[in-house]
Amino acid sequence: MSKYLDLDLVEINKLLKKKEITPTDLVLECFDRIEKNKDLNCFITLNKEEALKRAKELEDKEITSLTYGIPIAIKDNIVTKDLRTTAASKMLENFIPIYDADVIKKINDSGMIIVGKANMDEFAMGSSTQTSYFGHTKNPWNKKLVPGGSSGGSAAVVSARITPIALGSDTGGSIRQPSSFCGIVGLKPTYGRVSRYGLIAFASSLDQIGPMTRNVYENAVVLNTICGKSKNDLTSFDTSEDFTRLIGEDISGMKIAIPNFYVNDAIDMEIKNKLNDVVQILKSKNCTVDYVDIDYIDKAVPLYQIIAMGEASSNLARFDGIRYGYSYENPKNIDDLYLKTRRFGFGNEVKRRIMIGSYLLSGENATTYYNKAMAIRNKMRNSFLNVFKKYDLIIGPTATTKAYPLGCDLDDAVKAFMDDILTIPVNMAGLPGMNLPIGFSIDHLPIGMQIIGAPFDEAKIYKLGSFIEKELNLDLTPSGGDNND
Amino acid sequence: MTKYIETIGIEVHVELKTNTKIFSSSKNGYGQMANSLTNVIDLGYPGTLPTINMEVINTAIKAAHVLNCKIRKTQHFDRKNYFYPDNPKNYQITEARTPIGYDGYVEIEIDGEKKKIEIEEIHIEEDTCKSAHRGKVSLLDFNRAGVPLIEIVTKPCISTSLEAKLYLEKLRELLFYSDISDCKMEEGSMRADANVSIRKNITDPFGVKCEIKNIGSISNVKLAIECEIKRQSNLLDKGESFKEQTRRFDDKLGDTVLMRVKETGNDYRYFPEPDIPYIVLTDEVINSAIKSLPMLPDERREIYISKGVSLVNANKLIANRDLSDYLNNFIDTDLNFKEATNLLLGDISAYLNREEKNINDTKLTIEKFSDLVNKISDNTLTSKNLKDILDKILEEDKTIDEIIKECGISNITDSNMLNDIVLKIISENPDSVTDYKNGKDRALKYLMGQIMKETKGSANPKLVSDILIQELNK
Repeated sequence: MSKYLDLDLVEINKLLKKKEITPTDLVLECFDRIEKNKDLNCFITLNKEEALKRAKELEDKEITSLTYGIPIAIKDNIVTKDLRTTAASKMLENFIPIYDADVIKKINDSGMIIVGKANMDEFAMGSSTQTSYFGHTKNPWNKKLVPGGSSGGSAAVVSARITPIALGSDTGGSIRQPSSFCGIVGLKPTYGRVSRYGLIAFASSLDQIGPMTRNVYENAVVLNTICGKSKNDLTSFDTSEDFTRLIGEDISGMKIAIPNFYVNDAIDMEIKNKLNDVVQILKSKNCTVDYVDIDYIDKAVPLYQIIAMGEASSNLARFDGIRYGYSYENPKNIDDLYLKTRRFGFGNEVKRRIMIGSYLLSGENATTYYNKAMAIRNKMRNSFLNVFKKYDLIIGPTATTKAYPLGCDLDDAVKAFMDDILTIPVNMAGLPGMNLPIGFSIDHLPIGMQIIGAPFDEAKIYKLGSFIEKELNLDLTPSGGDNND
Repeated sequence: MTKYIETIGIEVHVELKTNTKIFSSSKNGYGQMANSLTNVIDLGYPGTLPTINMEVINTAIKAAHVLNCKIRKTQHFDRKNYFYPDNPKNYQITEARTPIGYDGYVEIEIDGEKKKIEIEEIHIEEDTCKSAHRGKVSLLDFNRAGVPLIEIVTKPCISTSLEAKLYLEKLRELLFYSDISDCKMEEGSMRADANVSIRKNITDPFGVKCEIKNIGSISNVKLAIECEIKRQSNLLDKGESFKEQTRRFDDKLGDTVLMRVKETGNDYRYFPEPDIPYIVLTDEVINSAIKSLPMLPDERREIYISKGVSLVNANKLIANRDLSDYLNNFIDTDLNFKEATNLLLGDISAYLNREEKNINDTKLTIEKFSDLVNKISDNTLTSKNLKDILDKILEEDKTIDEIIKECGISNITDSNMLNDIVLKIISENPDSVTDYKNGKDRALKYLMGQIMKETKGSANPKLVSDILIQELNK
């Protein structure tokens, strides 16, 4: 079988333009790789027939973009017309949407070919893709480890070189943490950069769709495609710019901040060391690197839990068995329908979060918790913005650990959130943040760093990211988990 | 039965007359095939988000203005969370904390005295879908889901059922007139709930409140309040107490019926709607909404009466908005409003009703109408003439003069000729002349009638009357 999907987008594009290969070749190769990597359980639903049909259609058309004809995996909480969308829940096991998410229209318009819907934590609630109703996904670097989550399927697909591109969603780290665990580039854009219309909501004020790719340049290319104001999403913003424009520019003179919290004791030494190596490189290139304090950053997780679970309890109320999705058969009455549909339709983590969220918004609690959390969230955001008055970017580790064994954390609801202590503040402040692979652990697992920008400053993140990427020049193809047992 | 002090507060839900729904682009319509005016947003599909229809905001600004409310410039929507089959998302988007209008009033007149019914707040929200129960199944029609509503809440300042009725009538007139709503209670575009409590002395705290939900007509609101007060009075008279509760009015039974007792206050888990950013109204937006308001009934009434129209006719005109709007074209002219009103409410209304037409669909241009009124005022045209040519006037492009000429109308205004006819009739009816001289007014009318008959209605009645009286008094 060919290995076109190992080439970068520019090379594939050349071959397509020269008619040396066709989109169908790419799709067939992709499905061959899907078959070979079946045990990873990256996908909930495959779209082979449609993908081949579309590849055929694209063959006779003018190649208009760099992503033309490229297979892409879509996280299964982004609705796709006529293609089953489950959010990894029994609740939507048989749900076939009747409309496309805004990003899906953009993906299709730019000529990408959706090959399947990627596995994830149920309703994006989790950090290891183990809460999926459709079984867990394995980490391509070591099949006994989690891929991270909640966009674990998307991360594993790109990491295993099944598709060059995947879309994920990130509410508290769900793009960046699995990207870190799987050794890929994943960006959570500025809140509002990408339309959320068609993303099954978890926490509306935090959710954001973002690109997951093999390298920085391709990430910027995909962001170019999916960004922009939508008339369907009032929280989206008009942003027309080329995110690749600063890639390759000289980074000397850049001012970089590292929050003191991002080098705390909870973070693995190995990870801190890798970050330090990067800091040394940056300093050698005449960048300033300072340590700074950000107010309330250590409180971000409890604040996040209040806001995210409060919003989730309301967002998930619509799954009631009446209009779509799973519906408990022969209920005694309407209350019985609600109760049994939700008891049997949702998994434990989802129910846990709905219950906590409902409690947090009940009666006086709304004032005690939710309103207060929103106020402190604002202060934290302002503290971040103050840092960006003096610094171009903030960096730190993405996760406190490398990928951990499957089965861990499942019953430790609190510890699961501690995975996200470094990613959550970014969502809380509405900032863009990207995971960039910066090396390997002693047992050859990927380690990632996070680059955080001021609102709408993604281009600058890509500038620094691509520089570091080039300097490190890592081989990010998983050598095959079997060897690492 | 002891006499108690009544305290009544009224909540009214009014569907706004907008083209599309509040949070989606679905059409806002009534009486269409079930579920034909819906989309994924109205159905609460996974992944959908609300957008905001600025027409709703503008209409709500108008409502706040006509109800004399202060207008809040920065507002946000909230989610009201509760499970119910008619609630597609299982939360309703509403302005719980930042109502667009507050501290307003509606003025009513009761026994010649004016009273201000105070408005606590007006807030915007979305309507739920409509459920229908057929035996063991319930059917849902989402056409209504997401129709924009405003809820208008009075302070507990209404003292009698009559005040409540007058308030609702006034409210309906105002909102209907401002194009804010159809206010059709029978179609549910206006729905009223009444909160009723009683107490012995004015110094006592308010009594236990009972809410009567969804009363179907204004007259039933009055009845329901009366029944409820009677019910509560009987209980208190007997020394019984009761809990805060929700009731409905059964008009066949002629009484209120218990729906549910309110337990420890409902917990709607309100929080700010994260999908809709804060709405900030500029003075420009507010002023342009207010500027687009049509003239309100009170102002019309005042103008009509000042121009010599009777109160009865002024009210009739106001009740027919199209005719009133038509007449308002002449406010700055010296048109005879009394004659114009008679014409509009009389022969023209008869024609419009018969033909099921709107005045704006006729050929009655402003110039033509003004000409017509003048010709009637100065007796160029008699009422008989008018009846003959009105259809032509309303249906043809010709001017009044052209139509008069075409129909060969030449009224006898020659007093010599009239004199002869008058004398002829007098000589033919000696009995009536005697009756007249004996003070019987009826005789005069009879003689007039005979003259008009003789002239086939083409005599100028004013002139005939003058000559007749002159001759009779000789």
